[in-house]
Amino acid sequence: MPLGADRYASRAGTLLFLGCVGLSVAAMSLPDTWRDPIAQGLRQTVLAPFLALQQQTELLSAARAHYDAVVAQRDSAALAATFLPELRSENVRLRSLMGLGTRLGWGYVPAEVLHQPEPTNPLTFIVSAGRNRNVRPLSAVVSAEGLVGLVSTVDAQTSLVLTWAHPEFRASAIASDGSVSGIVAPHGAAGPGVWLLELQGVPYRQLVPEGTVILTSGLGGVFPRGIPIGTVVGLASEAKGWERTYLVRPAIHPSALSHVMILIAARGSGSDIRGTFQADAVRP
Amino acid sequence: MRKTDRYRYLVVLAGLVVLHFTVRGRLGGDRIAPDFLLLALLIYTIRAEPGRSAAVGFVIGLLRDALTPASFGAGALAHTLVGYLSSWAKAVFFAENVFVNGCLFFAGTWLRNLIVLLASGRISGAQLGWELLVWSPLQSLTTAAVGILVLGLFGRWVAVRKPER
Repeated sequence: MPLGADRYASRAGTLLFLGCVGLSVAAMSLPDTWRDPIAQGLRQTVLAPFLALQQQTELLSAARAHYDAVVAQRDSAALAATFLPELRSENVRLRSLMGLGTRLGWGYVPAEVLHQPEPTNPLTFIVSAGRNRNVRPLSAVVSAEGLVGLVSTVDAQTSLVLTWAHPEFRASAIASDGSVSGIVAPHGAAGPGVWLLELQGVPYRQLVPEGTVILTSGLGGVFPRGIPIGTVVGLASEAKGWERTYLVRPAIHPSALSHVMILIAARGSGSDIRGTFQADAVRP
Repeated sequence: MRKTDRYRYLVVLAGLVVLHFTVRGRLGGDRIAPDFLLLALLIYTIRAEPGRSAAVGFVIGLLRDALTPASFGAGALAHTLVGYLSSWAKAVFFAENVFVNGCLFFAGTWLRNLIVLLASGRISGAQLGWELLVWSPLQSLTTAAVGILVLGLFGRWVAVRKPER
């Protein structure tokens, strides 16, 4: 049987409620310089054991998946061994399937994505690598498909990643043939272009054909040159006689990620890592 | 209400918190998997006073905001309001009924998502529509289903009313 409202009409309760609402509104109005240390402090203290728990669970899950993969590979190897002439070609095929990490070679750390249920999770998410793995702010975050975002804040065990979907994300970009350069930014939340990027600042005289692959240009020093950002899918808008903006379909959606690579070492100014990703792009 | 029920009640809530950080990732997509943390709050509000429910909601919301700073403060506001309103609703309107409790869990989850989306201001237009009309109802549905399951298994421990003063 329901309780009467009169039992609940306590002044202290109402004041507590109003106080909590006031604090929430105050938290929403905090500038980034105050908000980030508070969030970081909470992650490193109260939430640290829970994040560690989530990280261990992700590791366990990954270990299980790896175990299944290893068993499958062992079975494949055993089968291939029975057909010795085919063993060499099988090895070649397996090598071609080796992951992004092998092709990157150095200067990266793998991390699990610790997804949260909030609808804004694709904008920023936590990954299971922090200062303990030499992650630094503004490190590029990539997957086998391409650019995911960059590290915003680094904690002891975890880091906060700002994805390409975040309204504040920007990346200097070029077409894969080097003909066009511009700035890539989220397209916005309205209309049919939801979860798309846009290539801004393309000179009006330069046309970018549909299907052109857009890569990071390496300018600005945040992202190394050659990380796939996405593919041009059409014209978004144009300022008459001045510039055009193109819609870009991102290489990967943040919600689809379970693991990422964080590029922790600065690469040479002339280095281009597009070859690292191209192998994945043609993977069947 | 037996003394041991109080501890069992806390164990159920703690269990939901642990489930949130362990098995949730394996229960389908991130947008539709049940929200165990919010469910723990809603179950807490069944027997707590609105003021306390609001305070607990605020703490849970603030902690979650630390994990998704894109909407910092919005989660605290949403969980505060949901905790307060849920506690009031249980006290004033709702009878002890499994279906009604399920509706409460559904509405609480959907309302939380609505407030987070509106208060954060990060998502608008068609994307907001998709979140509110497709993904949020699905997440609310799975959360309500788990809530009904929890009440079915542990209802005697968690739905115990405070004695009349």
